[in-house]
Amino acid sequence: MREPHRLTPQLALRVGVLGVVALVAFGILFARLWSLQVLSGDEYLNAAQNNQLRLVRLEAPRGPILDRNGRVLVSNVAGTAVKLWVGDMPEKGRNALVRRLATVLGLSPRRLARAVDEQLSDPLTPITVKTSVGEAQVKYLYEHRAEFPGVEIVQTYLRHYPYKALAAQLLGYVGEISAEELERLRKDGYRAGDTIGKTGIEAAYDAYLRGVPGLAQITVDSLGRPQSSLELRQEARAGNALRLTIDVRIQRAAEEALRYGIELAHANDHWAANGGAIVALDPRDGAVLALASSPSYRPSVFVGRLDRRKLAPLLDEEAARRANYPGLNRAIAGLYPPGSTWKPVTALAGMQEHVFSAYDPLPCTPVAYYGLDRQKFRNWNPYVNRPMTLPEALAESCDTYFYEIGNRFYLQGSEGRVRMQQWARRFGFGSPTGIDIAGEEPGLVPTPEWRRKTFTSDWDRAWNPGDSIQLSIGQKDLLVTPLQMAAFYAMLANGGNIVTPYLASAVEQPGSRGSPRLVLKRFAPKPPRPAGVDPAALAAVRDGLWRATHSINGTASGVFGSYEIPISGKTGTAEKVVPLPGYPAGHLEDQSWWCGWGPSEAARLVVCALIENGGHGSAAAAPAALRVFERFFNRKAPAPVLTESD
Amino acid sequence: MIEVAQPRSAAPRARVGAMPIAFLRRLDWILLAATLALAGYGLWAIAGITRYDVPGDEHYYVVRQAIALAVGLVGFAVATIVPLDLARRYWKLVYLATLGLMTLVIVAAEAIRGSRRWLDLGVIQFQPSELGKVLFVLAIAGFLVQRAGRTVQWRTLAAALGLGAAPVLLVFLQPDLGTALVYAAALAAVLFFVGARWRQLLALVALAVFIALSVLWLLPSVGIEVLEPYQVARLTLDPNADPSGVTYNLNQSITAVGSGGLTGRGVSGATQTNLDYLPEHATDFVFASLAEQRGFVGCSILLLLYLLLVWRGLRVITVSRDLYGAVVAGGLVFAFLFQVFVNVGMTMGIAPVTGIPLPFVTVGGSAIVANLVLVGVLQGIHARGHAGASAP
Repeated sequence: MREPHRLTPQLALRVGVLGVVALVAFGILFARLWSLQVLSGDEYLNAAQNNQLRLVRLEAPRGPILDRNGRVLVSNVAGTAVKLWVGDMPEKGRNALVRRLATVLGLSPRRLARAVDEQLSDPLTPITVKTSVGEAQVKYLYEHRAEFPGVEIVQTYLRHYPYKALAAQLLGYVGEISAEELERLRKDGYRAGDTIGKTGIEAAYDAYLRGVPGLAQITVDSLGRPQSSLELRQEARAGNALRLTIDVRIQRAAEEALRYGIELAHANDHWAANGGAIVALDPRDGAVLALASSPSYRPSVFVGRLDRRKLAPLLDEEAARRANYPGLNRAIAGLYPPGSTWKPVTALAGMQEHVFSAYDPLPCTPVAYYGLDRQKFRNWNPYVNRPMTLPEALAESCDTYFYEIGNRFYLQGSEGRVRMQQWARRFGFGSPTGIDIAGEEPGLVPTPEWRRKTFTSDWDRAWNPGDSIQLSIGQKDLLVTPLQMAAFYAMLANGGNIVTPYLASAVEQPGSRGSPRLVLKRFAPKPPRPAGVDPAALAAVRDGLWRATHSINGTASGVFGSYEIPISGKTGTAEKVVPLPGYPAGHLEDQSWWCGWGPSEAARLVVCALIENGGHGSAAAAPAALRVFERFFNRKAPAPVLTESD
Repeated sequence: MIEVAQPRSAAPRARVGAMPIAFLRRLDWILLAATLALAGYGLWAIAGITRYDVPGDEHYYVVRQAIALAVGLVGFAVATIVPLDLARRYWKLVYLATLGLMTLVIVAAEAIRGSRRWLDLGVIQFQPSELGKVLFVLAIAGFLVQRAGRTVQWRTLAAALGLGAAPVLLVFLQPDLGTALVYAAALAAVLFFVGARWRQLLALVALAVFIALSVLWLLPSVGIEVLEPYQVARLTLDPNADPSGVTYNLNQSITAVGSGGLTGRGVSGATQTNLDYLPEHATDFVFASLAEQRGFVGCSILLLLYLLLVWRGLRVITVSRDLYGAVVAGGLVFAFLFQVFVNVGMTMGIAPVTGIPLPFVTVGGSAIVANLVLVGVLQGIHARGHAGASAP
């Protein structure tokens, strides 16, 4: 088969074909290379650089919250937090890693594993595993860094509360942003993992307090392991300080006064007394000096390592009920019938609507009968039986006097039956006062229409004489918050102008030590609006409220009568069915109220105190309110003479 | 045309023994220079690409690659000196050796990353499929030249396909899809140069298209999965489909190539390589790393060297003393060209992602030895051909 070989034309052709193929192939490669490297090189260079850079958000220190005199109510302390980048965890051995991390940090491995699973869909956002990590744990994690891929240790800021539980519900707390909040606030620059104010002042003024997070970049390899140190691109701007209208001294006095009032109630056999609220505000502009609610809690339970047991009363319905709702801010969200503290509303409405005249005496009898069925209505004091003017009736808190006014409203027919409520609405009842924190309850001012809408049975849907009569003394369906009462009494105190309570006075630059503070923004109080009450009618009511604290028969004269600062105000004893252990259907308990102001002329402070289940207003709420005045005016009062009067 | 004038005597062999200087003068010095330049350039490229791969030892891979290069040069010399006639005469032995090696791999090799490609020889690991490429071409060419002469019968074509299919399948089963494709390409080239008619070649193309369609669509549609899902994905997916999955490598590779720009980012600035965004940057995706570090200029040098080698290889076909040498040279050159194109194209997203090494650059001793042997065979054909003899 050997034969001489010659390069045949066929072979030459085929070599040529392969040569062309080779040239085309290399041509394609060169073209592609040119297109990638020279034509779009910059684009890919950018992509390559972004590949290795990870942007890290640097938390800005949150601004402090100050009282009106600059005392620090909430500040920051530095802490260490552990974050976990789920995307950087190895797929194999992820569970083991989660378990080890949970063990090191003392967390529940199951809960951490669940959190990791939930985050897998968004691996570029870290989970904050734990804030306020101990030094030993940090050291361990640093030393075993290679064994914890995806774990990042960052500096963070923790809220610090120098006054412990003081004003807890008012100040609110901060926490990691929730999924719902994130969805709502992403456009405002919030990102996952951010700290956000959850309630109270912290939530309402979060935009000022949070500051602007900084940005740093870090070079990482393809597994997310840092290859360089953090390089600052944009420094975090610390949050601004928020100055409140709250006065720490008054706030503390109010909280102590609540405890005192509850003790008094207990001493008076009102053993169910277990909470309350005190509002103190400036009647001239609505600036709130104290907003106390009891029982309370330490906001520090929300800081750092969260203890479920300690948090349960705040987050778990059943535990909260057992602890009597410490998270509830009773001053703005506690709903109570106002009882006799309501009588000035009835009086003003009655005079404005010409239902009665302040100085034409009406009978004050032990009992009165109204309606077709001659229903019996009692006065709290069965031993009085004489005609009274309005000031006298207010001073002695005569129920039958006000029943008569209520009945006269009722007798005016369908139009008359809503007139008192219209005035009540004008005074701010039945709707939030507009204070600058969230969570305010509107309360309830019952009307015939409300009855029709709310109830189903004909019996309940009817507006009876009793509805108007009970309303005149602040009972039955009427519900108010202590803040609404305080705002109303501020109107009485300042001569007829309705104020909007407010808490934040200014945003300030957190001045370094010694440098003058810089006010960035001042929150102007809403200008008071005239309520439109006749000055003569108002004068009669103010006269009555001064007598209530000073005349011989005044319900709170024993408390305020001998105090050197003239105080005007009204007691209230409101019956409310409350759930109590041992009473499946609840038990009728007296809510102890006192609302008033001082000095009686040129008022500077309105105080409204409520002791839940505290019995008579004069025996618990009034002495508690006096404590607040004592601190405000820096004048001690002689020991009150406690009587059990409405 | 130039005629092969030498009778079948021992003349070339005698010349080797008696006149080594004359034999050396008959080598293709341009081809040799291109080869050495490629080897050196590859070594230099690897030095930069793997500098940060082994902490504490910048030269880990370079040293190993240089040793392989030295071994390869011995192989090159041997392949040049040993007469190709031996392979032609004993093509059956060569074929059996190829099959044996492939079988041994399947049976004895340990699986690394899911595939059995390497034979563990204690000190070194040996990847037989690389050297197998050369042996495969020698064997199939031997069969065809013996059987066909100048005309290829359909029967012969079928027999050649049958012979060729066995090693291809064995490589495919390792599994090493890329190398199996190289074998198939070499088989096609051998048939092309042995003189298969255009009609037959057309039928081959049709067959290839049919096999591709079957493997990718027809058989899976009736429930027979020939390829692993990742293989299908690599062959068909576009780079934007699944950034973190199968095509992650490809995306990172294209980014690496593009980021190199005209002159490259340098060794320390090549973040795609150094920070491991580019996996397999010392092996399958080595071209992307080179492109990142040395840019268009550095890549062009490499590609031009390849082109030079291919050109000289094509020239070897024309100067071959006999048909066998021409066919072998054709098969080897095309296999080489195919490897370069598929590997480089893969890193730039214009060829399917398969595990084909880049000749003379990819880290790996077996490949470098095999490629040097490949060039050695070409040199041997050249030296015994009639170009060097009378230097026309």
